[in-house]
This record gives sequence, C-alpha cells and structure tokens, in this order.
Amino acid sequence: MDEQSRAELERRRRSIALALVLGALVLLVFLMSIVKWGGHILP
Amino acid sequence: MASAAALSVRSTATVGDFFALLKPRVMSLVIFTALVGIVVAPGAMHPLTAFTALLCIAVGAGASGALNMAYDSDIDALMARTAGRPIPMGRLSREEALGFGYALAAGSVALMWLFVGELAAALLAFTIFFYVCVYTLWLKRRTPQNIVIGGLAGALPPAIGWAATTGSLSLAPTVLVAIVFLWTPPHFWALALFRSDDYARAGVPMLPVVSGKRATRWNIFAYSLILAPLGLTPAFIGLGGPIYLACATALGAWFVWQAAAVLRERDESREPAARRLFGVSLLYLFALFAALLFERLAHVAPLGGWI
Repeated sequence: MDEQSRAELERRRRSIALALVLGALVLLVFLMSIVKWGGHILP
Repeated sequence: MASAAALSVRSTATVGDFFALLKPRVMSLVIFTALVGIVVAPGAMHPLTAFTALLCIAVGAGASGALNMAYDSDIDALMARTAGRPIPMGRLSREEALGFGYALAAGSVALMWLFVGELAAALLAFTIFFYVCVYTLWLKRRTPQNIVIGGLAGALPPAIGWAATTGSLSLAPTVLVAIVFLWTPPHFWALALFRSDDYARAGVPMLPVVSGKRATRWNIFAYSLILAPLGLTPAFIGLGGPIYLACATALGAWFVWQAAAVLRERDESREPAARRLFGVSLLYLFALFAALLFERLAHVAPLGGWI
C-alpha cells in the first residue's frame, strides 16, 4: 500500500472514530438530560 | 501556509496516535482512584451520573496528558522513555495535540458542570490547570520539587469523585488526596533513579540529576516513612475497616522495606531496587484503594472513627 492510500485509509478511520465518539456524546447528553431533569422538561 | 511536510505529518496520524496522547496508563490509575472516591463517598448517585462523572475525569486526565505531550514534545524527543510518543515520532503535529487537548479539557469540564455538579467541575478544571500550567509549563523544567508540588494534580481525582457524589468535601477525601500526594514523589523518584541519564540529557532537573542519587534515596526513604502511617489513617476516620487496616499495614511495611532496599542499593548502573520500588509503589496504591472499594462493595463496616 503506497503512502497516499495509507493516509486516505487513516483519514477514513479517524472520521469513523470521530463520528462514533460524537454519536456516543449525543446519546449520553440525551440520557443525562432525562436523568437530571426528568422526561417532562418541555411545557 | 502549511508546508508539504506538515501536511504529510497530519495525514499519517492514526486513531491510536490520538489515543496514545491521552496517556492511557496514567489515565487508568486516575479512573481507579476517582472510582473509589465516588463509591466510598456517603450518599447515592444515579449509575449514569456516576458513569458520566468517571468519563469526565478520564477525559480531563487524558486532555492533561495530551497538553503535556504537546508542550513537552521537545524534551520528549530527547528521552528514550518518551521518544516513541506520537509527536516526537512526527506522526502528529504539536498544534493537533494542543487543539485535541484543549477541546477535551473544555468538553469534560462543561459536561461535568452540566450533569454532575459545580464543585466536581471546578475541581476538574483546577486539576487540568494545575497539571498543564503549574506542573508542565512552570515547575517541570525549573525545580527538583516539580513532582512534589505537581503531584497534587494526580492526587485530586479521589476528591473529584467524592465531590461528584456528595457535592462537598470533607476530611475523608482530603486524606485520600494526601495519600496519593505523598505517594507521588517516591514513585517518580524511583523512576528518575533508573532513568537519570534520560532526564539529564533532556535538562529536566529531577532530584537525582540536581542533588545526586544519594540524596534521592534518602528522600524516597523519608517519604515512605511518612506515607506508610498516613496510609493507615482512613481506618481511623471512619472510612476504612479491618480489611483495609490489615492491607494498609502490610503494604506500608512492604513499601518502607523496598525503600530501605533502594537506600542500600550499590548498583548505580542498573538500579534494580529502584525498579522494584517503582512496581511495588504502583501495586501499593492500587491495592490500598482496592481494599477500600472492596469493603464498601462487600458492606464491611468501617472501624469507628477515632478522629
């Protein structure tokens, strides 16, 4: 594998890792909002 | 404008390189001591809140590690122990590490503030500030007391955990912090004894470099004599029970014995006793906190508080 394809592969892996981390963060914030403020925070 | 070389450096960074910036081995000890702080503190916490608190502490510790590696990349390149890190190896740029570290630091403190508590968030922010600004940028290259004072950053996680559960601080978390604080110098001076050439090459004024190995051995021994009895204290303030007291007594005696072996060591090229003490000190702290955790999970009643 040449350097350019390896760099491309690593870029894709970094993007996937970032997407997974952000997805987990969104889920955590959603769940923690329910834990802290309950399920009826909107009027 | 970024040079072609810099672009090339950026493009080869792997997910593992970013993970290595978090200093996962240091992080594991931070997570464990913080977990003990969370569990042994009085009161209950929702499991998801406890998980969030632990995550924030872990990410905050990782952010500190990343910022430390960014600011110390010049000296890391000069030491055998750290030359393989992502920045000295040219796989990651210093700027990437700085951005990564500051983003994680801000994110972990904000999340802690929002979902766990103000005091825990403030303590986490102070810990990151202390490790990065006070230890890394100020003390590390200026004084042999760098790890003595800087050790406060590594000692605070049990108090952050405690504050996450109770929203306050008291004598018990202060004692836990004091134990880790006094454990830090002998632990790192043992490392510095068998890595003194590394530190000398990089110009880091660790105690063996500045005051010599003899003075370092005496300092290690003196700290071990203070640490061993301090390790017993949780049993006298209503935090630890009989299992803890037995473990702390045996572990403290073992620590002092190993420190005495470092004091008697004559093999200055290989420093086998210092290497042994480095491992024993890790085991000491882990076992001490594990005993507290075990007693709390097994509902072993603490000994009556004498203080």
